[in-house]
This record gives sequence, structure tokens and C-alpha cells, in this order.
Amino acid sequence: MPASVQWSERGFVAVIELTNLTKVYAATRKGGAPTVAVEDVSLSISRGEFCAVVGPSGCGKTTVLNLVAGFEKSTQGQVLIDGTPVTRPGPERAVVFQQPSLLPWMTVHENVGFGLTLRDKSNHGHDEAIGQMIDIMGLEGFEHHYPYQLSGGMQQRAAIGRALITEPTMLLMDEPFGALDAQTRSEMQRFLLELWRSWHPTVLFITHDVDEAILLSDRIVVMTPRPGTIAAEIPVTLKRPRQWDVVLSQEFLHYKKRILSVLRREIG
Amino acid sequence: MAYSWTKGSEKSLDQDVAVLSSSRRTYRGYVPWVAAALAVLIWWEITALHLVSAVALPSPVAVFHDLVATATVGYSGQTLLNSTLFSLGRISVGFVLAVLVGIPIGFWMATTEWVFLIIDPFLQFLRPIPPLAYIPLMVAWFGIGELPKVILIFFCTIPIIIISAMSGVKNVQESRRRVAECLGANRWQMFRYVVLPSALPEVFTGMRVGIGVAWTCLVAAEMIAASKGLGWMIQAAGGELQIGVVFVGIIMIGLLGYGMELGIRTLEHKMVPWKGKA
Repeated sequence: MPASVQWSERGFVAVIELTNLTKVYAATRKGGAPTVAVEDVSLSISRGEFCAVVGPSGCGKTTVLNLVAGFEKSTQGQVLIDGTPVTRPGPERAVVFQQPSLLPWMTVHENVGFGLTLRDKSNHGHDEAIGQMIDIMGLEGFEHHYPYQLSGGMQQRAAIGRALITEPTMLLMDEPFGALDAQTRSEMQRFLLELWRSWHPTVLFITHDVDEAILLSDRIVVMTPRPGTIAAEIPVTLKRPRQWDVVLSQEFLHYKKRILSVLRREIG
Repeated sequence: MAYSWTKGSEKSLDQDVAVLSSSRRTYRGYVPWVAAALAVLIWWEITALHLVSAVALPSPVAVFHDLVATATVGYSGQTLLNSTLFSLGRISVGFVLAVLVGIPIGFWMATTEWVFLIIDPFLQFLRPIPPLAYIPLMVAWFGIGELPKVILIFFCTIPIIIISAMSGVKNVQESRRRVAECLGANRWQMFRYVVLPSALPEVFTGMRVGIGVAWTCLVAAEMIAASKGLGWMIQAAGGELQIGVVFVGIIMIGLLGYGMELGIRTLEHKMVPWKGKA
């Protein structure tokens, strides 16, 4: 990774605090009961921590991310970022979705630079920053391609580049590699490990892949469904930098066993 | 640079795509012409074998003769060029007005609920009314000049444009909105960078359907006290059982409609190259 890329002072320093967060979806018109998606979730993520949330689908993990991102409003409790309650989405909280969600009418260059364009329409000075980000994401040579001309992994890298270019204070990732094939997914995990090693961003990473969570994170929050609550918090002390073969170690399997047993107990 | 591990396999992507489209283009180029030639040939055979009376279905040669005659001498004092230009003018003005007025109305209806609630009943009420039914009203309200003809085409085309613009805006993917939202887009930026381009493919589909409808209305429009125009020519010639001239009019309308469709398609390809791909 080029050392020339410097984050500003405020880059990646946020502390995320969830206090007794509850989200209830109102009853449907057809008479369905109200759904408690998330119940009484309290969680604190420290500066530069990589925190993964795992759980089966429907356990409310995406709802937690949506609340932190500000896409949805909590029914009770609140999300504090550096002590300030979240009320709506903001550029300091970069989100990477499961689908790359690149804008198909923009080239890779325009997509990656989208956040800068929104901030300041005069395009001068952006090109250098965008070019650097494209290099970091391994997309050089594809600046003027459109998203549909890229593979899934490249699209997701462009989406991550777009999220990082506005120098957010934290990175919220909602199953970012869930739609990729196994090979590309492991490449992207390696890529994210490198990225995190260089910049130490605060990351909230949602996944249903237990292996992925252990490989990447400092701490794993296990959630269980109906209602979505935290069943266990497991710190991962595997030493960094982590190589792909860490997944074969006894320690790794030990973590995996613990997490799976929590999931099994809560669901079964 | 780090992460060069994807390069080798991706570079050849463009070449593959190029090879694929060129082999497709070869048969794309001639199939439509072969189909058209075949249709004319069948028509020719039917007339040559006298399967139907020559009055009901003149031969291609007879129609070509009428084409030359209407183009040079004219029909009832109007040359083919003159009639074509008048029809084209009426269609263009009516259609362009429908697009210019319809798109903003559609966008407004999609984004503001009370506007939708006011306009939608009228829209749905007016949509099934056939163009012929408007003729007496058009004459009573706007007389017999160019205005009622243009307004008739405008009225019949605009619902399609409005509906397509409206559904284009309503179908904006939530994830794309969210991307812009968390990068700090304000309302205008959201519209400019996300909503408008998202809606364009459907707007173009609406325009392509709309231009067909506009031509469909032409004959009705030119029943309003016209003395030139392709629709007028077809009706007048039909009344005198000059089926050859009717054919000339039909072929002209078909070709012009096709040409306009191709024009919009080209524009669409330029403006929304991602359509159907993302």
C-alpha cells in the first residue's frame, strides 16, 4: 500500500456506542403482529477496533447496522458516535453493502469519486485522490470502465474505494463479500486485512460466515433471532498479521467451536 | 502496487466482448433486410397468381407506380412530400410537447403524494378513451386548424410518458439512494445523480411506446377537416377505392414510425448504455 496516502487527523477515530437499542417494526395492515427485530442491544466498539457481528439470517444484524448508519430510527435506546447521537446518515459513516450498488451511469472513476463530487462540485484536485484510491483498490486501468464491465470482486473493491475516499471515521460493512464466489471472497478478505492493517479503521462488520468473522475481527458479537439479542461476545486474540492458513490452526477451530455452540444452543 | 492479482484474467474481458458483438453484428446486419424482401416477394406472388382482386390488393409494381405518381403529380393537389412534412410536423410538435410536459408531471407525481392523488384519477379516466372520441370536442374547442390535430396527438401520447416517468422514479433502487444518502447528498444532488439517471431507461421505453401511439393517432387527427397529410391521404384515397395510394400512405407511416423509433433507440443507447445490464 502506498505510504503517500495520508488520512486527515479525524480519520478513523470514532467510538461507537449502542445503548439498549431496540427496534420494533409496526404491525402490518393485514393484522400481522409487530416484529421485534432487535431487543436491548448494548455494545461498545473502541477506536480502531474491528468488530464482527455474526448470526443467522433474520437475527437483526443488518438492522443494527442500519441503525448505526442512520437509515432507520430506533424504537428505544440510541447510537452514539463519539458521544453524539445518530439521527441520520452522514459521510463520516461509510457503508459498504452486500451488493456493490455502484451507480451504473458512472465510470469507476466517477463512482469512486462520488463522495467528493457531492461535497464539492468543482472537480479540481479530486482526480489525484481518486487516482490514488483506484490504485489502492487494484483497479488501475479500469478507471473509465462502467460497473457492468467489471467482475463482482472488482465492483465490490470500487464500492469500498468509494466508501473510503471521503475519509470516514468508521466503516460499516453489511455482508460485503456475501454475494461473491468463494475464491473472490477469500481474496477480498485478504485485501480487507491489509487495508485494516495499514489504517486501523473502526469497523462494524456484519456477516453470517463464522470463519470470515474469526479471520478478520478483534471481537465477535454473536446474535440470535426473535428477538434479535446479543447471545455472546467473544474477543479474538489471534495474532496479527493473519495469513490465510490461520484458519487451519487449533486456536481458530477453538473459536469456531465456541461460536457454533452458542449459535446451536440458541437456535436449536 | 499491491493487489495486482486480478489483472491477468480481467484484461482479456474487453477483447472477448468485442469478438462476441462483431460475430453477432454480421447477421444482425442482413436478417431484417431478408425478412423485408421475403414479405415483398410473398405479396408479389399473391398478386401475380391473382389470388385476390387487383382492386383489393394492388401489386408491388402498381403501388410503386402510385408512389411515383403521388410523389410527382400528387394526390388531390398535394404532393407526397408535402403531405409527409405536414404529418411529420403535427406528430413532432404533439409528441415533443407530450415529452416536455409529461416527464416533469411524472416526476412530480412520483415524488409528491398530493400531486399524484390529484392527477392520477384524471389520467386513468382519460387513458382508455379512444382518439376518435375526442374529435368532436377538438373541433368544438379548437376549430379546424393545426391546433386541434396537435392537441389530439399530445393528449393521446402524454399518459404513456407520464406513467413511464413516474414508474421510473418510483423504481429507484433503495440501495442506490442509501449510497448517496450516506455520502451526504442533498435533495437536489439525490435527484441529479441518482433519481434522474435511474428513471431514464423507463422514460425511454415510454417514449418508444409513445411515438408509436402518436402515429396511431395521426389518421384520427387528420380526420379533423384536413386537406393534406398522410392520414388524410389514406382516408381520401380509401373513399375513392384507390387502394394503391392507401398502400403508399401506410408504407410511408410505417417507415417514418420505424425511423423515429430507430432515432430514439440510438439516443437511448447513447444516454443509457447501461440499460438492461445493471
